[in-house]
Amino acid sequence: MSTNGKKAIIVKDLTKSFKLFYDKPSTLKERFVFWNKKKVESRAVLEHINLTIDKGETVALIGTNGSGKSTLLKLMTKIIYPTHGSLQTNGKLTSLLELGAGFHPDFSGRENIYFNASIFGLTKKEIDQRIQDIIDFSELHDYIDSPVRTYSSGMYMRLAFSIAINVDADILLIDEILAVGDQHFQDKCFEKLTELKNSDKTIVIVSHNLDAIKNLCNRAIWIYNGQIRMDGDPIEVIDEYLKVCG
Amino acid sequence: MLKNLYQYRELFKSNVKKEIRGKYKGSFLGVLWSFVNPLLMTLVYAIVFPFILKSGEPHYVTYIVIGILPWNFFTTVISQGTFTFLSNAGIIKKVYFPREILPVSVATSGLVNFIICIPIICVFLLCSGIGFSWYMLLLPLVIIAEYLLLLGIIFITGSINVYIRDFEYIVNFFVTMLFYATPVLYSSELFGDFAWILRLNPMTIIIESYRHILYYQQFPNMFNLIGILVISILLLIFGIFVFKKLEKGFAEEL
Repeated sequence: MSTNGKKAIIVKDLTKSFKLFYDKPSTLKERFVFWNKKKVESRAVLEHINLTIDKGETVALIGTNGSGKSTLLKLMTKIIYPTHGSLQTNGKLTSLLELGAGFHPDFSGRENIYFNASIFGLTKKEIDQRIQDIIDFSELHDYIDSPVRTYSSGMYMRLAFSIAINVDADILLIDEILAVGDQHFQDKCFEKLTELKNSDKTIVIVSHNLDAIKNLCNRAIWIYNGQIRMDGDPIEVIDEYLKVCG
Repeated sequence: MLKNLYQYRELFKSNVKKEIRGKYKGSFLGVLWSFVNPLLMTLVYAIVFPFILKSGEPHYVTYIVIGILPWNFFTTVISQGTFTFLSNAGIIKKVYFPREILPVSVATSGLVNFIICIPIICVFLLCSGIGFSWYMLLLPLVIIAEYLLLLGIIFITGSINVYIRDFEYIVNFFVTMLFYATPVLYSSELFGDFAWILRLNPMTIIIESYRHILYYQQFPNMFNLIGILVISILLLIFGIFVFKKLEKGFAEEL
């Protein structure tokens, strides 16, 4: 690994295809009945992606719906695996693909902080050290001991974002969640992300909020039909993107 | 894999806690249900079975309690374990964490539940006048054998169930049938020379070992018991192998 010390994410000739089922056979009966009817088509969502992200970079992935940017992010988190090629990440990784995934509605906010942070691989001691920061950041002091099912969706997202932002990962992967909560909280998130950017964290963001990207990121990658169309300075990439897709 | 489990030990711990506490969350008696359930089962069998089956056991109720609790451990873990990846589809699709935590915490929460229930057996042993013996020191060996056997099974059934959803029903049916092929309510001696057929079922040997230790207060058949332990470990290795093969597609199939 020492030779890749400066690289946070290395993607080599990565291809990801999904099986397309017209009517997905997943019961035994259907498997037997449709034994010979191979209605399976495979569609490449990402093709021959080569990409290196250095430590400390803040990168935005942009592109139209279905272009494969979320798939690339999922591959980085190791939720799904490449069909061909390889993807390597160095350092502790946190993902925010969907806020509050893994919250247990019957447990209190405090218990869910422990549960959710432990999904990211923190030990109890590490969570104990951070819990006050998490609660402070979420501003949910009065509700932290109530069950999460009683929370409004804004409160829910605030809690989830506060956890993810405080786990101290080296690489932070964020999928379209810059629009969290009210204006006050959004500003706070933005400030926190900027702070993380200025430390040596690596951040990869998928977003359609182009203005935010221009302010926050120092590199943008435009993914078009499963391939990298342009890679470089956010302002130039976004201008080009808007010309074609806008 | 052990390194992974160690690194994510907090998740493992809270998952076990969630399995135990979350199961009865919202119910009036809460965790007490882990006691009440097997007791009610025992009650039903103790009333019904002496009429059907003439058993020579002087302490029939104690006799079946010793069978029912380990059997309960077996069925709950199998049915929850087979379903565990499906019921956690939400987080599997959204967050990375070592997936092996899920089956391991199902088996472990079953184990904890079972250990909590051991006092019930003790109460029955005392009340029936059988009492305790030094052979009880062998109990952990049997419990470990059962735990490893269960882990091996659910690694396989759980992983397959992600791809073929019918598998759950097949497993449940199979477990129900196995109940009759396991000497929980009767003694394998009932079958005379054909008792060896029952012993092809690993649960027979496990339940017989519990009985030998607790009820008859004698050495279990060590040859059989060690055999089961070895088979369980081999099955677990095979189970982990199957799981590792299938794991990578979980997020796409769920």
